[in-house]
Order: sequence, then C-alpha cells, then structure tokens
Amino acid sequence: MKYLGWRLLHGVGLLALLSLLSFMLSQVASGDFYSQLRNDPRISPETVAALRAQAGIDRPFPIRYAAWIVAVSRGDFGYSLAYHRPVAPLLEERIGATLILTGAATLTTWLIAVPLGIWSAARRGKWGDRVSTVAVSLVLAVPDLVLAIALLVLSVQTGWLPAGGKISRGYAQMGSIQQLRDVAWHMVLPVTVLVAGSTPVLIRHTRASILEVMEAPFAMSARAQGIPRRRLLYRHLLPAALNPLISLLGLSLGSLLSASLLVEIVTGWPGLGPLFLEAVMARDFAVVLAVVMLSAAFLFIGNLVADLLLYRFDPRIRTVD
Amino acid sequence: MLFLRYFGAVVLVVLTPVSGASGDALVLSGVTGERGGTLVFGQRNEPKTFNPVIAADAASRELILRVMADLIHINRATQLTEPALAKSWTVSHDGLHYVLSLRRGVRFSDGQPFTADDVVFSFQVYLDEKVRSPQRDLLLLEGKPISVRKLDSYRVAVDLPRPYAVAERLFDGLAILPRHILEPVYREGKLAQAWNLSSLPTEVVGLGPFRFKQFLAGQRVVLERNPYYWKVDQAGIQLPYLSEVDLEFAGSEDTQVLRFQDGQSDVISRMSARNFAALEKDRVRRGYALSDVGPGLEYSFLFFNLNELPEGASPEVVARQRLFRRASFRRAVSVAIDREALVRLVYLGRAAALSTPVPLGDKAWVNAKLPHIVRSLPQAHQALAAAGFSRAPDGALLDPEGKPVEFSIITSAGNTERLQMATLIQDDLKQLGMNVHVVPLEFGSLVNRVFQTHDYEACLMSLIDSDADPNPDMAVWLSSAGNHLWHPEQKTPATPWEGDIDRLMREQMVTRNRNERKRIFDRVQEILMENLPLIPLLSPDILVGAKNGLGNFRPAMMDHYVLWNIEELYWRAEAR
Repeated sequence: MKYLGWRLLHGVGLLALLSLLSFMLSQVASGDFYSQLRNDPRISPETVAALRAQAGIDRPFPIRYAAWIVAVSRGDFGYSLAYHRPVAPLLEERIGATLILTGAATLTTWLIAVPLGIWSAARRGKWGDRVSTVAVSLVLAVPDLVLAIALLVLSVQTGWLPAGGKISRGYAQMGSIQQLRDVAWHMVLPVTVLVAGSTPVLIRHTRASILEVMEAPFAMSARAQGIPRRRLLYRHLLPAALNPLISLLGLSLGSLLSASLLVEIVTGWPGLGPLFLEAVMARDFAVVLAVVMLSAAFLFIGNLVADLLLYRFDPRIRTVD
Repeated sequence: MLFLRYFGAVVLVVLTPVSGASGDALVLSGVTGERGGTLVFGQRNEPKTFNPVIAADAASRELILRVMADLIHINRATQLTEPALAKSWTVSHDGLHYVLSLRRGVRFSDGQPFTADDVVFSFQVYLDEKVRSPQRDLLLLEGKPISVRKLDSYRVAVDLPRPYAVAERLFDGLAILPRHILEPVYREGKLAQAWNLSSLPTEVVGLGPFRFKQFLAGQRVVLERNPYYWKVDQAGIQLPYLSEVDLEFAGSEDTQVLRFQDGQSDVISRMSARNFAALEKDRVRRGYALSDVGPGLEYSFLFFNLNELPEGASPEVVARQRLFRRASFRRAVSVAIDREALVRLVYLGRAAALSTPVPLGDKAWVNAKLPHIVRSLPQAHQALAAAGFSRAPDGALLDPEGKPVEFSIITSAGNTERLQMATLIQDDLKQLGMNVHVVPLEFGSLVNRVFQTHDYEACLMSLIDSDADPNPDMAVWLSSAGNHLWHPEQKTPATPWEGDIDRLMREQMVTRNRNERKRIFDRVQEILMENLPLIPLLSPDILVGAKNGLGNFRPAMMDHYVLWNIEELYWRAEAR
C-alpha cells in the first residue's frame, strides 16, 4: 500500500514535469494558432492581435502555465481555439476509436507473439526457429508507415479491403450486425499494420526469456528428473519466464493511446491521431497538451499495473521492498 | 393499401414544390434534374464549426456555405454577381448608398420567416468589435465599417463610408444569420461558442440548400435537404435535387484520393497534379471523370526581404539586403528562372507560367500586354554586369563589393510542389553563379518569419485570391498594409514606386467605370513588373474529379470549386 502511494506521487510529479516541458516546447515553437490567419490577405494584423489577446495567448509564459495547471486540477483541459470547444469532449469523441484499434491490435499481438515465441524457443536452432527468426527480422525492418501505404494501395487496386476510414458509405442504412461487420472490416488494415509493428519485438522477448530459464539450474535438474517436455515448459518454465513479459504487458497497455497515432493518420482512422496532427500543425496547444498528457498518463498507469502484477507474482520483489 | 401508397406518392410529388418555395422563389432557368440520392464529398480536413461568424479554416467555410446563404452571390461560372436573398438592389449616383430588396416568403431551415431584421442582426454581429469576427475586416473600407439599416420588413439600406468599385461583391459568402436563434446567445456574449459540431442539429439554422443532420467525430458531417429552400428549377421543382450530402474527412490528400478512387466518395476537389495523373489511369474502369479547370486564383512567387531591419541585425543579412534592394538584381533573378520547366516538372504541365503577380484565373484583370517572361541567361548576365557584378575565376558571382552572392530561400516544407520549385530555382540561379540554399520550414514558422521576425532572406510562397477582382489583394499591394509581404506595415511608402502603387490601388478601389479600373490596375502591374517586389512564377490548375452520372457538374476556378452549384447537382438515373 505504501508502495502504491509512493508510486502514485511519483507519477503525478512526473506528469507535472512533462507538462512543464511540453509547455516550454510550445513556447519555443514559432507562430501560434492565429499565425495562419495571416495567410488570408484580407484579415488585418490588428484583428489577429485582438484575437490573440482575447484567447490569452499573448500573456507571459508563467501566467499561462499557472492558469493551465489550475484548470487541469479542476479537470478542465482547456479550450480548443480551432474547434471553439472545451478540449475534454473533443477527446472523448475520438478516444473510443483509438482504443478499439489499439485494443484489438494489442490482443492480437499477444495472442500471436507469445505462442510463437514459446514455440520458437522450444525449437531453438532447428529450421522452424531459424525461419521464424528471419521472418521476424524482416517484418521488424519494414517501417509501419510504408507498410500502411503499401497495404492501402494494394487494397484499392484489388478491392480486398476498404481504402481507409472507419465506415463505408451507406453505413447509416445498415442493420447493427452489418454495421459491426463494416467497422471490423475497416479495422483489418490498420490492425494488421500495428500487429506487424509490435509482434516481432514481443516474439523475440518471449523467446529470449524462455531460453534464459531453460538454462537455469532448476530447469536442468527438472529435465534430469525426467519431467516431460511439455509439462516442463508450461508448468515450470513459463511462470518463471513471466517477469519480462509482465513488464512488456505494462508497456503495451501504456501505449494504447499513442501507438496508433501515425497509422490512424495514414489510414484515415477517426481516432486521436488525425486530431493530434492537425492540432500540432495549427498550434492548437490545448489539444496538443491534452493528448500528450493523456498518453503519458496511460503510459504511467500501464507501468504501474505491470509493477503491481510483478509485486503480486514475484516474491523476490516483495522481499526487497 | 396499394392505393394508399400510390396516393401518398402523388401527394408528395405535388406538394413538395409548393410547400417550401412559396413567395419570391428564385427560378433557375435552364436547370433540370431529378430529386433524390446522396452525394459524398471527400474533404481533406475536418470542419471545426458551423458558426460563420468565427470560422476561419477552409473546411469549415466549405461546410457553412452548404447550410447558409448570402444576400448577393458571385456566380462561380460567370464570376459576376447575381441576386440571392436580395432579389434586386439600387445604387445612388455617388455609389455610397445601396437599397436591397429582400425576397418575400423565404423561410429558415426551421420554418421561421426571414426578414430585414435578420439582415440587420447579421451585420451587427459581424461588425461588433467585441465579437472579433474575421469577417469584420472584409466589411471595412480603409478602416471604416459599412452600415446597414432596416427600411421595412423587406428592404435594407446599406451605406458605404466611401465609394467602393465593386460593393456588391462584399456580400458574397456573408452568411445571413437567424436572429431568432442567435440573438439570445449574442446578448449573453457566447456567440463564439455557438454552433460547434456538438450542437444539436435543430439549433443550427440557415438559409442554405441543406441543413445539419448528424456529425460523426473525425469521420463525416451528414447534411439533409432543407425543405424550405428558396430556389426552384424551371419546372418549378424545389431545389436542391439531392436528398443528402455527406462531407467525409480523409485526414490526408493521399487517403482522400484513394477513397475517391475506391468509390467511397463521389467528388474530389483540388488534388495535386501527381494524384491527378495517378487517378487518370483508372478513370474508365472505375467510372469517374477528371477535369482540369485551368489555372485558378492561386499564384506562386518568390520575394526578397526588403524590411527595414532593426539595429543589431546580423551585418551579413544587412549586406545581403543591399543586393536585394537593387531592382536590377531582382530582374536578373526573374529572367534566370525557367518557369516553363517549373510548370512541366513540378506540375506535370498542369499549371501556367505568370508574367505578372496576378493569378491567371483572374482573367479579366491580368494585364495581357505585359511581355511573357522567357528564360534568358545572357540577359540575366548582362543585367548583372551592368550593375557592377562580376564572376570569380571559379564561376561564382561576385557583387559590386566583390563578395560572393549567396542567400537562402525559405519555403513551406508541407508543400511538395513549392519545395520542388525552390530546388529547381536554386539550380537555375546556380547557373548565374549564385550560391542559393533552400530551407524548408513548417508553415507556421514560415509565416512567423515573414510577418513577425523578418528573419529570412528570400521566400517562395503562394497566395489564393478570394475573388476574381483586384480588391481582395489591396492588403498585399498597399505599403501600409499588414500583408505587404516583402515589407509590411510601412509608415510612409519606402520607395517612390510603392507610393505610386498605393495611389493607384486607392484610385481603382473607388472607380466605378470598369474600363477605367482596368486601365489603372494594368498600370499597377506594369510598375510591379518593373520593380519585381514579387517575382511571379506560376498559377496551378484546379484539378477535380466526379463520379460519372453526376448531372449539372460544372467545376469552377474560384473557391467551392466543385460544390458551388450544389443545389443543382443530381444523380442521373443510371448512376443511382
């Protein structure tokens, strides 16, 4: 309990530091939301200056930061200058789409990677392991974005998969089962890209940690006592190899909000990605900060969950504490 | 039962034209079509708001003009003004007083009647300094606002603070607001927050052909036919023909193009020449048509930093500015640029070289007597030699003080075409012995350097005119204006020729004889080409596409390129 309290305090401090850093970076970025108005020659500099003053972005940095901290502590993430709306509902509308995508991708990744990793470790050095190692390296080497674009072009050319987006035209006229199927169909492409991006790492880690415990003295003695291979693998080796996997699970959970941003932009998935990119380009800092803080909070919570799980499953950690 | 259904259909057909478009409906002659169907329009970005008072981004304005209407409208095909909510108007002899007669019996999309009170309220809101509408600047003539008074329920008087040559054009795109909905919000001072995308569809009320039905965050806005719209076709059928319009946001141009190719959207506007070429291959198999409308109202140019730099500016930049200030230097640069190569290589031929800093889409106003600029290195060398420049043994160009000529061009990193143009120009100028660097900057930083810090040497940029007329660019040409790119906000004109341009531009603004205006603006262009504060490069073509079977599709070179006549668009039977 004391451990948990200390970790939470630590997390809040970390987030505060991050917010300060983000704020400072936003300060360094040249231009602000109203700079783009200057592209319309009919709008006068006076109007732009007045809009700036109205939005309060001409105030000095410490005052703006203090105002932001006070607002956030009240649960108010500020006001989007582009949308003329509070940021919180803006994120709310889109966070679901991102979580569906990353949730499905994370689940698929784990369902593929862990069995493959174990299988590969059990066949270390044999041709199956070699083939899988080469394949994993190849997939790892292809950047997500290139894969996404290649798949999109392929989808359009062949008509196998929809060309980006989340729903087809005529979605409103579909029955609810059809609607569900339509969204799932649109998810295939981005999920594939995300899975291709994260599976190889997870396979390698699973394989490595299983191999590590295979070499451990207890595994050797178990083998010497004639415990069957399968039973040895699943009963004795897997639990012992769990630690690094739990840490990775934390990372996976933590990146639920951030992993898919780029892929969303390329495939036109209506999650936080396109919103974030546009906000960055338009200097709509309230939105940028909220997305950054939220994904940082997710990362922190993911790690916290992993640590708590480790605390629960690994007695060694508890004795240290 | 069968009888009932049949009867119901008949009643519907007979009643619809009559029910909404009563009174002074605007009859579009020469227009026929069939009602029904949905049009999906693929947009790049998501609109931010329905609120015409605060909207500043293109996506929002695209949306707003589907649900709102103006008093006097510029026909995108003819580029001339025509009656909209104002069915006619008269002008006083001095050109200062207008009386607009409004259409009677027109209703907002919630069924409430439209009267002069709505017009007066709309102008009150747009002109209110506390509201800070970007539209306000469009209603100021040299800093003084126009004023609007109610004469009776269907007549308003508009008084201009000074004569203005094309006053009717000011009303184009200025959405008339429903007083019964927005006045309470305005009184509370909360107008800026009104009508965002989370508003209820019933709250967003306008006079446009469509009304708000549904918003799916990050995906699309669904609009439905406004049952009270005030235009009918020649057969008396109430417009618009389409039942529904879906504005779909793709996030990026590439996704936008892919989704159009895949048939997920029906119409696509303003794509790059490369995407146009890519789509062309698949045209027949996929059943869409592409069209090149010709050069539009965008023009690209190169300019040098001619600002008075503050004390303490880097001596290097100050020294370089001495070069930039020479008209002979700018002329040599201009004649060394191979514009035809820019058109051919960057825009695959879908652009046109410029010989004046006026976009080619502004057909009536381009000074056609100005000579076409043909690339000529000997001419450039000659001009430079006459101004005292020389060549070092290694071929580098030396300025009259004997220093090598070297400068950097900043341009927007997000715009592939401009970046490519800058690179080709770098190569063109290298052949004069100039050492040019290209510095791609993110657009916000670019704008900041040009307008705020003046920390740059040369810049390659584009402007898109909002209207085919010289007036929208007043703020570019007047030396005191904030958008006088090369040296904004001058207290007094820095050079005699800038003073001349100021005088001529002010003169054309109040001249009501069109030929006389044209003569004055021709002279402005001559002065601009003698002094080259902006070195004109090219105007890109407007490239659009639509699925086969879309009737009355007539893309234009002015903004709202494809949807400007959305009330007339319809699906032919074979495309349904």
